[in-house]
Amino acid sequence: MRRVALSVALALAACTNGDARVGASNDLLIVGYDREPDTMNRYATHILEDIESCVVEGLVTNDDKMNVIPVLATEVPTVENGGVRMRADGGMDVTWKLRPGVKWHDGRPHTSADVKFTVDAINKGDWKPESTDGFDRIASVDTPDSLTAIVHYREVYAPYRLQFFRGTLPKHLLEGRDIDRANDYNRNPLGTGPYRVAEWKTGEYVLLEKVRDYWRGPEFPKINRILFRFVTNTTTRINQLKAGEVQMVALVPWDKVRELKPVPSLRLNQVLGSGYEHVTLNERHFPPFADVRVRRALAHAIDRDLVVGTILDSLVTTVNGPIQPLSWAYEPRVASYAHDPSKARSLLDDAGWKAGANGIRMKDGKPLSFTLITQAGFAIRENVAQAIQKQLRDVGVDAKVQLIDGTSISTVWFSGNFDAMLHWWQSGADPEVTLFFAGDRTPPAGRNINYFSDTALTKLLYASDRTVDQAKRKQLLSEAQVRIAELVPELVLYNTSKIDAVPATLQGFTGNPTNAGPFWNVHEWRFP
Amino acid sequence: MLRFIARRAAQSIPLLLVVSLLVFALIHAAPGGPLALYLDNPNVRPQDIERLRHAMGLDRPLAGQYTAWLWSFVRGDWGYSYADGRPVGARLLERVPATLQLIATSTVAGVVIAFIVGILAAVRTGFDRAATLGAIAGISLPVFWLGLLLQLIFANALGWLPSSGRASFTGGGVSDLAAHLILPATVLALAHAAGWSRYLRGSVRQALAMPFTRGARSRGVSERRIVLHHALRNALLPFATVVLLDASIMASGAVVTESVFAWPGVGSLFTESLARRDYTVLMAFLMCASIAVVLLNLVADVAVFALDPRTREQP
Amino acid sequence: MISSRRAPRAGAVVLVLLVVLAILAPLVAPYGMDALDLAHRRAAPSWSHWFGTDELGRDVLTRILFGARISLAIGLVSAAVSVTIGVSVGAVAGYAGGWIDDALMRVADAMLSVPRLPLLMISAAVLSPNVPLLILLVGAAGWMETARVVRAEVQSIKARDFVTAAKAIGATSTHVIARHILPVVVTTGAVATTLAVGRGILLESALSFFGVGVQPPTASWGNMLYQAQTTMSTEPWLGIFPGAFIFVTVLCCNIVGDSLAERASHL
Repeated sequence: MRRVALSVALALAACTNGDARVGASNDLLIVGYDREPDTMNRYATHILEDIESCVVEGLVTNDDKMNVIPVLATEVPTVENGGVRMRADGGMDVTWKLRPGVKWHDGRPHTSADVKFTVDAINKGDWKPESTDGFDRIASVDTPDSLTAIVHYREVYAPYRLQFFRGTLPKHLLEGRDIDRANDYNRNPLGTGPYRVAEWKTGEYVLLEKVRDYWRGPEFPKINRILFRFVTNTTTRINQLKAGEVQMVALVPWDKVRELKPVPSLRLNQVLGSGYEHVTLNERHFPPFADVRVRRALAHAIDRDLVVGTILDSLVTTVNGPIQPLSWAYEPRVASYAHDPSKARSLLDDAGWKAGANGIRMKDGKPLSFTLITQAGFAIRENVAQAIQKQLRDVGVDAKVQLIDGTSISTVWFSGNFDAMLHWWQSGADPEVTLFFAGDRTPPAGRNINYFSDTALTKLLYASDRTVDQAKRKQLLSEAQVRIAELVPELVLYNTSKIDAVPATLQGFTGNPTNAGPFWNVHEWRFP
Repeated sequence: MLRFIARRAAQSIPLLLVVSLLVFALIHAAPGGPLALYLDNPNVRPQDIERLRHAMGLDRPLAGQYTAWLWSFVRGDWGYSYADGRPVGARLLERVPATLQLIATSTVAGVVIAFIVGILAAVRTGFDRAATLGAIAGISLPVFWLGLLLQLIFANALGWLPSSGRASFTGGGVSDLAAHLILPATVLALAHAAGWSRYLRGSVRQALAMPFTRGARSRGVSERRIVLHHALRNALLPFATVVLLDASIMASGAVVTESVFAWPGVGSLFTESLARRDYTVLMAFLMCASIAVVLLNLVADVAVFALDPRTREQP
Repeated sequence: MISSRRAPRAGAVVLVLLVVLAILAPLVAPYGMDALDLAHRRAAPSWSHWFGTDELGRDVLTRILFGARISLAIGLVSAAVSVTIGVSVGAVAGYAGGWIDDALMRVADAMLSVPRLPLLMISAAVLSPNVPLLILLVGAAGWMETARVVRAEVQSIKARDFVTAAKAIGATSTHVIARHILPVVVTTGAVATTLAVGRGILLESALSFFGVGVQPPTASWGNMLYQAQTTMSTEPWLGIFPGAFIFVTVLCCNIVGDSLAERASHL
């Protein structure tokens, strides 16, 4: 009996598998998404906002070149265009001009009152927004007319452009309510974007449908419906992509690219990321790292090109500093440490680390031996750690690799309880790196987990934070990047490219290096 | 009889209390914790973290947390998942149907295999040796390896079956579900059938050696009827209790199989929550699984006792 | 019931062979334990690499041999731990009887009620154990079966006439235990140990497969499968061989243990 059932099922399966592959079209695009959102409220969610950003737009966003571009604002306020004014008391005023004719999906107009409401709601602090950065520096907001909002900052705040990256909360809907419990908004947010939530089937999918009168015009968006299927298991998600059960997957893990390259219906879109991988060198926990010669030696010992060419299948690019090539503040003319084992050895000799009996260098009876931790569960990172271990061994440095699970590792590095860590920082679009390299920004005040302090660098970084003059800021940041590369507080490895798999016929898709995500221009996507 | 049930049920309570203490102590001994998710985000400041810590109730003393948790658990309030903020009970409940599907199918399949193999092994010595070797092989197989192999052969190489998940969105329907169910159910069925077939074989042989079978033979009843009717009937009840008593092993097997095949049941919820240290979900899972095991064991004990009053527990 | 002698003998031989290979791994392995060869990653099995190479160009056969040291060590020592605890608890419970027996059996029941693998997975995730602690965890999770069997045996012996007779002529409890109970218990213990080795290896490999057991870069058969699971479709040999070794080892343990049990029951 069972045998009969089995053969029938197999026969049916053969048919079913073929039917599962449905081509993507302007009617429906199926996205395999790696997790279910906790909430659609952009200010409260603690995961990426891809789905939300299709519904709720910001005053600005980041394009694929990491430029800040206006969306619901008409222009990005700057000192030059008069949108930013310094006050005598040391504060600054930023004037946001809103785009006329933009309506919430319920027909009410989007006005400056919504901007003011958003600031007040976040600063009131009686709900749980994920991050309130910058809002606490706002003293008040004036709304002289329905399309103008003047934001009064108590002090100069350099990343002001991205203050309303997440958009606004609708005052007429949320005023006076407990926002955490406003499930109508958190499940089906009121926005101004090209899509609205048609259905959210918990545990399975969110279905977005196009909005009739989107402010950009009737020809946008082109795609009628987007379905986000939640598939947490990466292998399953990629398998479904290959089988055509989902048509698009954002942020494909690098080790899956090989499998997807030969699939004719897919295109792999690669952009430089706004993050980078590096080896953190914790000077406080492992004092030998405090010697710059040791740090430079380690940098020379690692063959980044080999690692990138083999383990990473050339999917990423080596970089030499924390600010990435796409940023407007990027400085390419910095010191670069080529793979040079003999230079590494001579530097270590100079620093007093002589070759020991078993090949490990010793100084004052202590071996140059430390633990290199990294997050478990990322096959490529585990492999990179082991490759680095071998390359360091070749110059007499003993690095023991230890994998730590994703949840514990944050506590470990936040408490500074490690020697070295293979890690990555995902930066926002603003090139502020003060919290990573200023001498007084070790945890909990910041993320300087190298416990590195250089007076000149710290001064440069803080000065760059306190100016909104882009040219001046760039100059200060350039000097900072030069200094960082010279002093090698950490071993910078490569930029973390973002690779998205999209249908080969999809037009208008560009990908996005920042947290704006690949859906930043979803209204422009179309199939021929 | 009722006294027996009441007594056995009462014995289960301290059992479960010890289990809950064990689980709670274990989980809270760890570094990391639900707040760790936020530490990686440079935009989250120390004040934000403190605020979240308080909101999640993590700043109370441990003993207080335990009693609060236990009391809520008993009342049905299992807290909220740290992964998505939804009630734990809801998260578990929505995954139960998928697990039930898998367990039901694999148990039925496993029982059928066990029957066929077990009975044949009991009556034919030639088959017996092979079957025993096969059964031992079955319990020696790492379940996840078997799953990976079957995926490799039937999904990747031959492409006959989908490799994971429960259903295609655009597919749907019974045949699609069946296609997704075959591989994981087969893995579980084989894993259990190995032990069960051996047990059934032993049971049937024992029954066949008893006086009543000789009596039946001398009355001219056919061998086949003897085996299928008389011997089997005697062996059925102990077999059923063995299946019930295997509940704990089935839970472990479900966790592994669901994870390998990304079958969206409570087992894969367990491994997902484990990766994110979603404590509330993990604790609720362990408690529910233990309660289920205890209940099924209770049922098995009662069945044995009720149907044969001569059976007594070992003193 | 394996009435033929060939299977258990073959099983025992294979086990001994594996243990010897594991001990001699540094001498026998064709490549060094950490030898990376980034230029020849993911190579299919060939004459220079019998089992192929992995993501970092490491020889899979070498890793299996060194992994054998870890996996077998965990299996053997955890089995010793399980059986020691189990025999002690079972003997005490069976001999003492009364409330001690009740209490001990309740503890055993409690531990048997919790699904073993999930409990171990959570424990391992929480404690991030190194190999010795992992051995203790796995060992501490497997004493209950042995305890029950030993307890039953001790009870049945205790009830036998010759024990009552021995006591009547004044033999002390210690004497009774040493002369009559211990020998039987030792046999049971031997069977239990063999089976526990197989169980221990399966548990460690399951824990490592889910990333909470032996951590890379140390190789164990289980964590080689953990690293192989994402590449099964493109490099199947990375998953087939380690799993095969687990299977064969546990199979041999079970065959040998089974035949030992057979022979013990005939004593």
